[in-house]
Amino acid sequence: MRLMAYFNKMRGSVHGSPPRVSLPEVLWSWTGAFLGIAAVAWLNQRFFVGTDLTLAIGSLGASAVLVFGAARSPLAQPRNLIGGHVLSALVGVTCWQWLGGEPWLAQSVAVASALALMHLTRTLHPPGGATALIAVIGSDQVHELGYLFVLIPATLGPLVLLAVALLFNNLVAARRYPEFWL
Amino acid sequence: MIQHSLPDAPVESAGDEFGEFDLTDDDILEAMREIPGYLDITTMDFRAVYHLAHRHALDRLFSGIAAGRLMRREVRPLTPDIPLAEAIPSFVRQGLKSLPVVDGQRRPLGILTETDVLRGLGAETFLALLARVIADAKCIKSEQHHRPVGELMTAPVVSVPLDAGLRELLAAFARHPGRAMPVLAADGRLAGLLQRKVFLSAYRPDRRP
Repeated sequence: MRLMAYFNKMRGSVHGSPPRVSLPEVLWSWTGAFLGIAAVAWLNQRFFVGTDLTLAIGSLGASAVLVFGAARSPLAQPRNLIGGHVLSALVGVTCWQWLGGEPWLAQSVAVASALALMHLTRTLHPPGGATALIAVIGSDQVHELGYLFVLIPATLGPLVLLAVALLFNNLVAARRYPEFWL
Repeated sequence: MIQHSLPDAPVESAGDEFGEFDLTDDDILEAMREIPGYLDITTMDFRAVYHLAHRHALDRLFSGIAAGRLMRREVRPLTPDIPLAEAIPSFVRQGLKSLPVVDGQRRPLGILTETDVLRGLGAETFLALLARVIADAKCIKSEQHHRPVGELMTAPVVSVPLDAGLRELLAAFARHPGRAMPVLAADGRLAGLLQRKVFLSAYRPDRRP
């Protein structure tokens, strides 16, 4: 009986997922994400290509989805955006340095611990998990940064997104950002 | 992206809750459509939050409502053998329109209400009695004065325990036409009298925590 209940939970409920947003909303989200990633990528190209540093990490794409596509979400607020990336990067770099000899373990411990730490600090930001994983999987360039990875890109990148989100989301009449800072 | 491990039970029983609407998925989805932007909650999330928030609001609004807190303790109850002529001054002295009737152990046997008294005097309401007084001064059946309270009282009586809350009191007053009802201690003895007007004025929907 308990087993039935267990499998029943996998069927989901008939209750609805959120409705599709309006077309203008889609266009605004598109524009916001475009501007946010454009700013990050342009700054990266202008100042960091050819240096040991980088600003462009994949997890910023995920952050852009939240910050421009679900700006009301608690997961998309500045505390989460910045806090999530910074704490997860710290966890990721630490896991690489301590457990790098066993990559599968370093990767899994990094993501799981980043998640736990974000929960504990109320900074849950799903892209943070990607940042923690990137710090371990890396590229050699990422690994060589060591804890500098926490500052660039993991603090600076989200800060650029935050600046664009503040400027852009508040231009739109139907949007406001953030819901809260801390 | 809110966790889906919310308890199912309170959501299913939402319809039983006092003053709570049964929201359909369509109601919630329609409301979400009216709010611009993407809300990352499901209809179940919303319903769960609504249900729990509603319960907290009720607790806040009605936390002061308990029979034991609202009742009047200083009540001199009647006994069934007292004649009506002695019972009536007791109403007047105590400023009450109904009085519990108790046995030797203060266990309620019934309640004597204004209506019971008027009926004993041959009138259904005070105004009916007044009309007859105006028409004919001899209308009051004075021989009734010696009838004992026990013959006239309403019995059995609807009473409530000391810890009765909003729901229980609403149900009790609905079953009971009188203006007041006895409040009983755990041992079944009379603890006080809860007046309907006191109960009503304890309902303060504007209260803030």
